[in-house]
Amino acid sequence: MTAEGTVFNIQHFTIHDGPGIRTEVFLKGCPLHCLWCSNPESLKAEVQPGVYRKKCIGRKNCGACEEACPRTDAGAGGGLAKAGRTASPLRFYRNRLVAIDYTLCNGCMACAEACPSEAVKAWGRRMTADQIMQEVRRDKGYYDRSGGGITVSGGEPLLQTELTAELFRQCREEGIHTCCETCLCIPWERVEELLPLTDLWIADLKMMDPEKHRAFTGAGNERILENLQKLAGNPETELILRIPVIPGVNDNMENMRQTADFILGEMQGNVRTLQLLSYMRLGMEKYESLGLPYQMTDRLKEAHFRRDYFQRKVRNFADYFNSRGIHTLVGTREKQ
Amino acid sequence: MNTGTNTAKDLNHEMYVEAHTAACGCEPIDQTYSLGYVKGHEDWSPFPRVNRLRQTFLDRPFNIDIERFRNVTESYREHEGEPAVLRCAYAFESILKNATLYIYDDDLILGEIAAPAKASPQYPEFSVNWMLHEALYEPFEEREHDQFYFASEEDRQEFIELCGYWKGRAVDDYVNARLDDEMTKGSQTGRKIFQTNLYHYGGVGHLVMNYEKILRIGYDGMIAEAKAGLDRITKKDPDYVEKRDFYRAVIICHEAAKMYIERYARLAGEKAFEAKDPARKQELLQMAANCHQLAGGPAESFWQALQLFNFATTMTQIESNGHSISYGRMDQWLYPYYEADIRKGVISKEYAQELLEVTFVKMNNPTKIRDGGTARVRQGRGFGGECLTIGGVDRNGRDATNDLTMMMLDASVHTRMMCPWLLVRMHEDTPYELKVKTVECIRAGYGHPKIFNDAPTIKAQMRKGQTLEEARDYAVVGCVEPNLPYREYGWHDASYINTVKFMEMVLNGGRCLDCGPHCPRWDKCGALGDHLGPDTGSLETYENMDQVLESVDRQFDYWCDQMCATMNIVDRAHRERKPLPYLSAFFEGCLEDGVDVTAGGTRYNGIGPQASGLATCADSLAAIKQLVFDEKKYTGAELLQALKDNWKGHEKLYALINSPKVHHYGNDDDYADEFFRFMFECYCRHLTGRKTIRGGEFTPGVYSVSANVGMGLNTNASLDGRKAGEAISDNMGPVHTDAGSHDIQGPIGIAHSIAKVDHSLATNGTLLNLKFPQEAVKGIEGRDNLISYIDEYLAGGPMHVQFNIMSSATMKAAQKHPEDYKDMLVRVAGYSAYFVELGKALQKDLIQRTDLEF
Repeated sequence: MTAEGTVFNIQHFTIHDGPGIRTEVFLKGCPLHCLWCSNPESLKAEVQPGVYRKKCIGRKNCGACEEACPRTDAGAGGGLAKAGRTASPLRFYRNRLVAIDYTLCNGCMACAEACPSEAVKAWGRRMTADQIMQEVRRDKGYYDRSGGGITVSGGEPLLQTELTAELFRQCREEGIHTCCETCLCIPWERVEELLPLTDLWIADLKMMDPEKHRAFTGAGNERILENLQKLAGNPETELILRIPVIPGVNDNMENMRQTADFILGEMQGNVRTLQLLSYMRLGMEKYESLGLPYQMTDRLKEAHFRRDYFQRKVRNFADYFNSRGIHTLVGTREKQ
Repeated sequence: MNTGTNTAKDLNHEMYVEAHTAACGCEPIDQTYSLGYVKGHEDWSPFPRVNRLRQTFLDRPFNIDIERFRNVTESYREHEGEPAVLRCAYAFESILKNATLYIYDDDLILGEIAAPAKASPQYPEFSVNWMLHEALYEPFEEREHDQFYFASEEDRQEFIELCGYWKGRAVDDYVNARLDDEMTKGSQTGRKIFQTNLYHYGGVGHLVMNYEKILRIGYDGMIAEAKAGLDRITKKDPDYVEKRDFYRAVIICHEAAKMYIERYARLAGEKAFEAKDPARKQELLQMAANCHQLAGGPAESFWQALQLFNFATTMTQIESNGHSISYGRMDQWLYPYYEADIRKGVISKEYAQELLEVTFVKMNNPTKIRDGGTARVRQGRGFGGECLTIGGVDRNGRDATNDLTMMMLDASVHTRMMCPWLLVRMHEDTPYELKVKTVECIRAGYGHPKIFNDAPTIKAQMRKGQTLEEARDYAVVGCVEPNLPYREYGWHDASYINTVKFMEMVLNGGRCLDCGPHCPRWDKCGALGDHLGPDTGSLETYENMDQVLESVDRQFDYWCDQMCATMNIVDRAHRERKPLPYLSAFFEGCLEDGVDVTAGGTRYNGIGPQASGLATCADSLAAIKQLVFDEKKYTGAELLQALKDNWKGHEKLYALINSPKVHHYGNDDDYADEFFRFMFECYCRHLTGRKTIRGGEFTPGVYSVSANVGMGLNTNASLDGRKAGEAISDNMGPVHTDAGSHDIQGPIGIAHSIAKVDHSLATNGTLLNLKFPQEAVKGIEGRDNLISYIDEYLAGGPMHVQFNIMSSATMKAAQKHPEDYKDMLVRVAGYSAYFVELGKALQKDLIQRTDLEF
């Protein structure tokens, strides 16, 4: 029996989440819902269809999704469809598929399977650890040459601890470096389970103020801070800590000062590298595919966001951390 | 073995022991030059002279110079009726005697191709038909690209008059008189299934001369060898007369070369006399002294070696307009001169570097005007193909890196010009320092150097019959053609083959998909119920995949017959009409046996045509297998109809075939990769073993350079989801249609796919272009990742790779043509997307950020 889980992407040749050339496995489902999340398709644990309306070649030319959807003719037949009151979750506008009504969709993914043009995209698929390993294993030569390996990310990989642990166990056996990128907003026991299998941890410390944290991510940071402290307390831990610097959310000096205090105090400075990731307006087309609003837009206006000023600000933060003796870089690198 | 605290990097060092070298140029080994293209940067070189020469070159126009045309025509008129080889020699002599000589400001190396820098001479010996036609009806200056300009209206008139003499006397006239309809229907004059333009209308080139020898013995040595040959032959030899004429021709040519260099010596002396600036006067005096020495004598210094190299090379370009006159393993043959001068303290390393860079700029001067048809598929006005090979193993299999290897990489990134086409040979023990420098040049994003893999290439050379020691000494000529310097006259780049056109015949019973009365060939083909190719079945009749593949095999056989028969005529035409006595002296075997290189005088005598569109064919076959025979979703007849309709009315099928739901080559997917392998092997099998008239064999290559675009224009829709007129797949690369790229697994996926074929079968070379975003090679980590990528890519066995490193400008271009950039990775922490999948606004954000971070 091999562990199974929901994966929404396997990306080969990633070079940003951990050292060297890596294969990154993105697992679906996340306990946090950060306002700036660039992978909105990762939030929900279940497989779900998304719609890229520009790719639809038109109902008249194709109609494959309608033919495949088990709900289309449910009970009603063609009559209701003509009256515009079909029970189908597929929503068309001017001959093109534009959205899926998730309240009517049962998540069977038949439409995504049938669509010839990728207008309906399956966000996520069930995979076993063995299946994932088959893909990961292929690139071993690249890991060995570059000092790379596997990174399990998400979503939150520790929501699927069994799968992550199984992957890491197999990687260990095959001499593949393991890296876990987690938000740490999970019970410590799960982290503990992964501890002996994980060569490198990548974790976020989004902001120090618990209330703000709750407001912007949907959960407080108490458990995260506690887990970080425990993780750093383990002398064997290799940890890259990241702060996603978000305009109008955590881009203030007070937050950075408190963070530095926490790293040097509670975490005893046991951080290999601190990485400041400047906010990127990413994932909007994915929000659109899921029919979700992108809430950062207003926030940016409020914060009078300008990329050049912002970038300078982030660099200044990095200088500050370095001045406090914390090895810090802007971006996902570890070397200057 | 993993203890938890050990990182994979530590393990890595145990697994792969890096080789090292003490070789070093003037710049530090890990000098970072730039990341990607930098616009408007004019002083990359630390030497102001080099920057000035470079700028002067760039500012100069492309002209037509008719001096050679005039001289060669006059000489041929004078020597009417004499043996061809002697007429060639007299013409060569006449050109060198009468050519106007040029010495440009700042220059330290002398010698052009008997025309001003960047002006193209004419070579009527090969063909005047196209020259006359274009001068009259399709003016060179009105071309869409590759324009050339006459200096005056008188020149144009004289040009047209001179053409008159050559009608019926050129190489192409010889060929045209011998082609039959079966051959022409498939060639550039027919439906363009194969195109033999290059050597049908121009010289052959694609070779490496024996630079070691000329530097060692000089032109006097060459003449002495020819004279000894002349003394050796007797009238008992049935070929006595041919050999006698050949030796006489060689002597005429090399005496003329001495006289030509002596003319330069006199001119440099006169210029020195006039020079006001004492430093320049000194340089000119030294150049005059160099020329005096080299007008007969061997090279005695590093500077003289470079000078003699340039004279020897440009005179080959004066004799014939064959391009890709490549420089061989220049870091190897030049090294003794460098080493001696440094040891004796004659020059400093810095001055050697400056001389090298001056030479690099100089290499750009020769220019060649091509016929309009060729120019359309092969753009660029330079002479072309001046590949310079460095690195690799020596004849004993040991790493050959030396100071000059590093200095030539520095010279390349300091000049950043079209020439030379720098190439680094890599092998298992390539020193780390050389990899770092190579990758620093690559990520500077100016397109050089390309990388060649020793293991499969050495194997390929041995397939051509070379010994291991010879094979290890390979250099690359032109784009990617492996060649044994001065022992292989390989006719590389001999013909472009459009395999997608073969596939049309396979799918449609030997007819073009658009067969009908509009076709110029209709009257002698379709109208008579005939076919362009043999009828080997059609999509309507195939019952299983084996029948389809069998049909592919038979089409290949038929069209290779036509093409090889044509090439053999072209080969004979060059032997009969345009022997190359000057060049022959630089080839092993010619002076020994008294046989011209065009008549098979040297050791290895192949002809190398190259296939384009293999991936288009592979994806087509994968689609047929999957949709018709495995899933049975469509019938063969339906697919055929979709092609005939150019996909109109078949939108669903079109979308499906272009989607990842259908197997595509380039994604490490065996289903489609197997068909690529089938196509690759089928093509190689049908060419390998066929004999050339010079006693060699045909050698298959798989590359298209940019010809895939031009070929696509003449090709109907194909089953990879390509519409009529779109480019066919390039080189070894995967398919990119207007609906998007078919490889979506990134650079490792394509590396796995391309490693599934035995590259050594393609003895005329394979080519792969890869695009990398700048983001991916940024910083020390980015550099090291690219090194690791290249190492592992080469370990898989492909022959060649070159990179495009992209900038924000590239990203902007990607916004305009997203279909061409589908595989461009943009990776920010935790984010998983390709650039073109992103919305416009965030693309812009990414571009802004990229600009700020560099």
